[in-house]
Amino acid sequence: MYAIECKNLTHYYGKKLVYENLSFNVEEGKILGLLGKNGTGKSTTINILNGFLQPFSGVCLIYGENTQTLTPETKRRIGFLIEGHIQYSFMNIHQIEKFYSGFYPDWNSAPYWELMSKLKVTPKQKISTMSCGQRSQVALGLILAQDPDLLILDDFSMGLDPGYRRLFIDYMREYAKAEHKTVFVTSHIIQDMERLIDDVMIMDYNKILAQQPVEQFMNTFRQFNITLNSPGQEVDLDGIAVNIEKVKDKIEFYTYSTEDEVKSYLASKGIDYSSFEERKMSLEDAFIGLTRKY
Amino acid sequence: MLKSILYKEWIKIRLVVWIALGLGLLALINIFLKVRHDILFVDAANYWYSFLFRGYTYFSVLKFLPFVIGLAVAIAQYFPETVNKRIKLTFHLPVSENGILIKMHAFGAVILLALFLLLLGLFTAGSAIFFPSNIIRASLLTMMPWFLGGMATYFLVALILLEPMWIFRGLYAAVAAGFVTIFFTGASIGAFSPVLLPLALITLVLSCVVLFSGYRFRKGEM
Repeated sequence: MYAIECKNLTHYYGKKLVYENLSFNVEEGKILGLLGKNGTGKSTTINILNGFLQPFSGVCLIYGENTQTLTPETKRRIGFLIEGHIQYSFMNIHQIEKFYSGFYPDWNSAPYWELMSKLKVTPKQKISTMSCGQRSQVALGLILAQDPDLLILDDFSMGLDPGYRRLFIDYMREYAKAEHKTVFVTSHIIQDMERLIDDVMIMDYNKILAQQPVEQFMNTFRQFNITLNSPGQEVDLDGIAVNIEKVKDKIEFYTYSTEDEVKSYLASKGIDYSSFEERKMSLEDAFIGLTRKY
Repeated sequence: MLKSILYKEWIKIRLVVWIALGLGLLALINIFLKVRHDILFVDAANYWYSFLFRGYTYFSVLKFLPFVIGLAVAIAQYFPETVNKRIKLTFHLPVSENGILIKMHAFGAVILLALFLLLLGLFTAGSAIFFPSNIIRASLLTMMPWFLGGMATYFLVALILLEPMWIFRGLYAAVAAGFVTIFFTGASIGAFSPVLLPLALITLVLSCVVLFSGYRFRKGEM
């Protein structure tokens, strides 16, 4: 059963194509991380999911309903964290809790107040005067109190220091797994995602480069470094590598092939090398390996 | 849910509403102190004569007050929604998007109307001490376009602020400036009476235009 189903999404800004025939699903109970460089369409996807953008063509469904025409009942099942932890900053923590509680019959204020008790803020302090970290806790607390089935978190790590990022991730992971919540999350800080997500979807300009369980991705996507015996040697790795970085006699390449497959490919192409090493990667390394540095 | 919506809107505009009320009361005090002073030095009959036949308006200090109040209430209510596109939070609430916008807008309009009616009521009560009813009626008819202009300003500024594209904001602002000026064009006592009804109807139509900006925002215009 899918919480989110997007089918054949195509979108343009003016004449600029963002993506074409993009399709993906998010299974219920999974935490999916959407990764991509700036301008690859992450925010566009989030906006389509929340009904704030009508795609040029294609459709996104949340719990079977078109995101352009979500009913209040379905919206009640979706928690939405806006990039930068935007909230009604003209309110204080009591006012904002009172405001939101009126919209959700199953509102549970306990987790909200538990998080608020950890913040060093005065009861009448406006959210606008809080630090970014404190605001993130207010936004998180409100989502936890809403107790949605699906959480859409747009760049949750923006502006947060490492402590608050870790606090946010640990809280979110524990909550999502304990309560069988579905989470669709984007972040610029990929090292955070590794602790949080089950599945990864990596977007590049106009397309999806990978969508699979993060463990499977990390086990199958590899980085190899070789040193050539003669720096001027022509090297053809196009048959196996998805990305190649060459500096003088050193070649760094990324591939879905195993070590044996790579060695056999190098031999078949007559590539003469002095050292061969498989380098262990973090998710961030793998992301850069797949999408390139520039 | 309605209670929550009204609660949030009140938090945004309450300071502006109290300040507007204070300014309105000060303007009224100013008007009637001046009237009392003038009647003491010029007898009442002459004072009324200058109003009826020389176009002297003892309440001209009120002319742009409704415009300023309408502008301030609209900014206080809708500017916080546009900062960081915070209106997304509002549209994400589990209610119909048009429904919540109508409720927010109706609340602002009702508060503004109540404020204007209160000021007009106090003006009428104060005027009754010094003037006969025909002068009061003529005064109210003269002021009516100004207060309608205040309402129109509120509706148009809401449309402009919620519009997602700057170029359209500029366009709306230019049209709105030209239109709102009509309400405040200098004229003699009661000169606007024949067009009051059309102006009121146009203002009523303007009360709905904010929905267009809301629709454009939800369709992703940027």
